[in-house]
Amino acid sequence: MADKEKLGNFTPENAPEYEDVLQCMRCGFCLPTCPTFALSGRERSSPRGRVALARAVAEGKLEFTEAVKEEAFFCLDCRACTTACPSGVRAGEVMEICRSQAHQFFPLKHVSKSFREFVLQKMLPNPDLLETSMLPARLYQKLGIQWLVRHSQLLKLGPEWVDKAERMIPELHPPLRPQLADVIPAEGEQRGRVAFFLGCIMTLMYPEVSRQTVRVLTHQGFEVVTPKEQKCCGAPHLTEGDRDTTKRIAQHNLDLFMALDVDAIVTDCAGCGAALKEYEELLEEAGEHDKLATFRAKIKDVSEFLAEQGLRTEGLKPVKKIVTYHEPCHLCHAQGISKQPRELIKAIPGIVYREMEEASWCCGSAATFSLKYTTESQQILDRKLENIRATGAELLVTANPGCHLQLAWGLKQAGMTQEVVHITELLGIATG
Amino acid sequence: MISETAIQTLIDKLGKENVITAAEDLLVLGYDSTPGLHATPDLVVYPTDSEQVQSVMQVARDHKVPITPRGSGTGLSGGSIPVDGGIVICLNKMDKILEIDEENLTATCQAGVVTLDLFNAVAAKGLFYPPDPGSQKISTLGGNVMEDAGGLRGLKYGVTRDYVMALKCVLPDGSLLSTGGKSVKDVAGYAFKDLLIGSEGTLAIITEITVKLIPPPQDKRTFLAYFDDISIAGAAVSKIIAAKIIPSTMEIMDKATINCVEDYVKIGLPREMAALLLIEVDGHPAMVTEEAEGVERILREVGAAEVQVAKDAEEAASLAAARRTALSALARVSPTTLLEDATVPRSMLAETFTLIERLTKKYALTVGTFGHAGDGNLHPTVLCDERDADEMKRAHAFYDELYEQVLAWGGTVSGEHGIGIAKKEYLARQIGPGGVAVMKRIKQAFDPEGILNPGKIFADGQE
Ligand SMILES: Cc1cc2nc3c(=O)[nH]c(=O)nc-3n(C[C@H](O)[C@H](O)[C@H](O)COP(=O)(O)OP(=O)(O)OC[C@H]3O[C@@H](n4cnc5c(N)ncnc54)[C@H](O)[C@@H]3O)c2cc1C
Ligand code: SF4
Ligand code: SF4
Repeated sequence: MADKEKLGNFTPENAPEYEDVLQCMRCGFCLPTCPTFALSGRERSSPRGRVALARAVAEGKLEFTEAVKEEAFFCLDCRACTTACPSGVRAGEVMEICRSQAHQFFPLKHVSKSFREFVLQKMLPNPDLLETSMLPARLYQKLGIQWLVRHSQLLKLGPEWVDKAERMIPELHPPLRPQLADVIPAEGEQRGRVAFFLGCIMTLMYPEVSRQTVRVLTHQGFEVVTPKEQKCCGAPHLTEGDRDTTKRIAQHNLDLFMALDVDAIVTDCAGCGAALKEYEELLEEAGEHDKLATFRAKIKDVSEFLAEQGLRTEGLKPVKKIVTYHEPCHLCHAQGISKQPRELIKAIPGIVYREMEEASWCCGSAATFSLKYTTESQQILDRKLENIRATGAELLVTANPGCHLQLAWGLKQAGMTQEVVHITELLGIATG
Repeated sequence: MISETAIQTLIDKLGKENVITAAEDLLVLGYDSTPGLHATPDLVVYPTDSEQVQSVMQVARDHKVPITPRGSGTGLSGGSIPVDGGIVICLNKMDKILEIDEENLTATCQAGVVTLDLFNAVAAKGLFYPPDPGSQKISTLGGNVMEDAGGLRGLKYGVTRDYVMALKCVLPDGSLLSTGGKSVKDVAGYAFKDLLIGSEGTLAIITEITVKLIPPPQDKRTFLAYFDDISIAGAAVSKIIAAKIIPSTMEIMDKATINCVEDYVKIGLPREMAALLLIEVDGHPAMVTEEAEGVERILREVGAAEVQVAKDAEEAASLAAARRTALSALARVSPTTLLEDATVPRSMLAETFTLIERLTKKYALTVGTFGHAGDGNLHPTVLCDERDADEMKRAHAFYDELYEQVLAWGGTVSGEHGIGIAKKEYLARQIGPGGVAVMKRIKQAFDPEGILNPGKIFADGQE
């Protein structure tokens, strides 16, 4: 991208495409769907406003100011605006690119910079290091994990932040990745062979959930291959604006998974799924169009995959619970997967399903957002909790570790008793 | 520029968070949905009640700074763009529904209430507020009143004007004016209320609106009719009206629009068809059945390629929602979407489609047409690139010629979006210099200093 023409006041490296910001016709359809606009009521914190800011920078009418940077990071990247926009504008992605720009315009202070670089460039891309360096549980919880979990760059490291992160972390079990066999055979009649993409947060924070995912997949008749050399999907890097590391990791994962002979690459982390599906745009310049397109077509969220293949329901045990479903942004908005999880939940015998209001409204977790903007995150979470409460559900199903953490923490804080489960955990219960 | 003392006064009255001077905020409050128009204000304020609006107006008057009201900025004629800088006064934070009066069937709300929010609030009480512009999820009641917005149900239920009963507003000298009331009949003096409706924020700032509500229709039926030829669709509309059937909705989309909308909503609209009509009849169940039969018969007689009935309310709602996205969906095709608001007597619809087709070829443009066919209100939209000077010139020539004919047919240059900046040149053609002169005298009477929303409606030098 180095020889790309300079776009207004953006730096040439990792700059947005002009067409992408020009596409916005300013109709405002995105406004009522944007949680940060709902909070502040300020146009500049809306998708339409954010794209207008980026456009002004692109046209040389505005410098890449502190406020532009602020908006880039205040955006939840929830992509609700992408779903709402009839013109096909992707304000969230434009802001992601602006985060990368922000690091060029406002380099971090030395200490935070080296810490950020260490985690993003050394630790996250290296699962062994990630797991071993984190092993003593105290260290795990005190130092890196909270940070990792929230993908933070420690810009605002302060007591409040650490305290919140500390309290959010669930009880930890040993990471799943080293425990999973390379190949796990299908049960019963085999219907296919899939690769499992195990996200960092899933292996570290929710190993039991992913264990259920693999178990449900094999039980449903799929052989599961888990290549150990897989690296982080790159989403944390993208969120923090480190596009270069993302590209390196992406290339590694692409080559690794494309060398496997599998029907699909399945993940149970909505954030990872979204990131993997976007490798196509990210690695565009590498020129491997066919390979990237095939890769994209193979990436499946586990609920997308099971709904597509058809859930084998014979032998499922009834689960007598009232259930509601929170849609992770990275599942419904980034991947357009909305009906499938509900279909799967409803296919389980015994379940009483109750739809909540605004199921696809962000829960306020949004990577580092909940730690950087504690008050705003809490306001978004409160709105979500109210909607959950109104359903009278006993179980809250979701499908992304970030939401899982935030919601479990929020429910506990609010003294609510609903248990949060991943959709494959629920299927796991029904599987027996 | 605005003096520090003026800013301080505003901060004292409105609070710091509601007086905004950051360059980035100013930049994003200088546009609406009209392509190519932008101007940067010097200051943005967010009042929360009438009194604060008065304070802002007094500051503008005392310091002689221009002041431009803004709702949600979904306007399509540039009405809320602060062409002379000064203050932009955003009414969005005045978003309270003050009263739903079930005895008088009225609702009173602050000007910044979002149209759909009012609709939902009254629907929850079993009442109906019919005006439903395509932008209803975002646009404000104040903006609707100021543009006299129409909607998908305009054909049978009328436009915003038909529902406004009372207005409270702040005049450019800072005083309050109340006009209208809950009485159904009122002929006391000049009809200020009617003058204010559609005045595009040039006479007063509306702070409170009382609207009339009606009982909702008991039943409805939704059709989708497809055509191989768009002028047959036009003929179908005229024939249905001529048969004395008034559906609540008759919306049209041409092929380009169908395809863009389908790209977005993915509900299986037929991409190869030249046009589709979305028709809804509503009312008493017996009447709905009778009218539905009539509509279906006429559609088949004129030669619709296919007629489908929506299977349930959900499908009907999703079709209407799809139609509402038409304009924004067309924006997928090209960087710039130049939309027009040509409106003709309904008997001329088929001819208008033929004319649009001819002009599209003549000026070598890409045009998507959709609109409220039942009202004769069409939105031929040129899909172009504002960076291509030649294309923009051809687009303007296209509209010039189109409007000339539309006016000759007794139509209007704006069915619902107003004159604003975009259509100043055309207004005099329609109402003549005498008409413009009287309008200017009215403007003068309300706003002698010319501080309220300057630069709108009248082209420079028009007397
Ligand atoms: C996708 C799309 C679809 C649309 N569909 C329709 C449609 O079907 N029918 C239709 O009629 N229009 C339609 N419009 C146009 C637009 O939505 C309407 O004109 C709407 O009424 C504008 O409301 P707003 O709150 O956005 O006002 P703005 O655009 O902010 O302002 C409009 C005008 O009103 C003035 N104004 C706003 N609030 C006040 C106030 N409180 N006091 C005084 N002046 C005020 C402004 O100065 C300006 O002149 C559409 C627009 C879009 C983008
Ligand atoms: S981002 Fe899309 S929905 Fe939002 S204003 Fe722009 S075109 Fe409209
Ligand atoms: S991604 Fe979410 S927070 Fe960001 S602009 Fe879009 S809707 Fe708003």
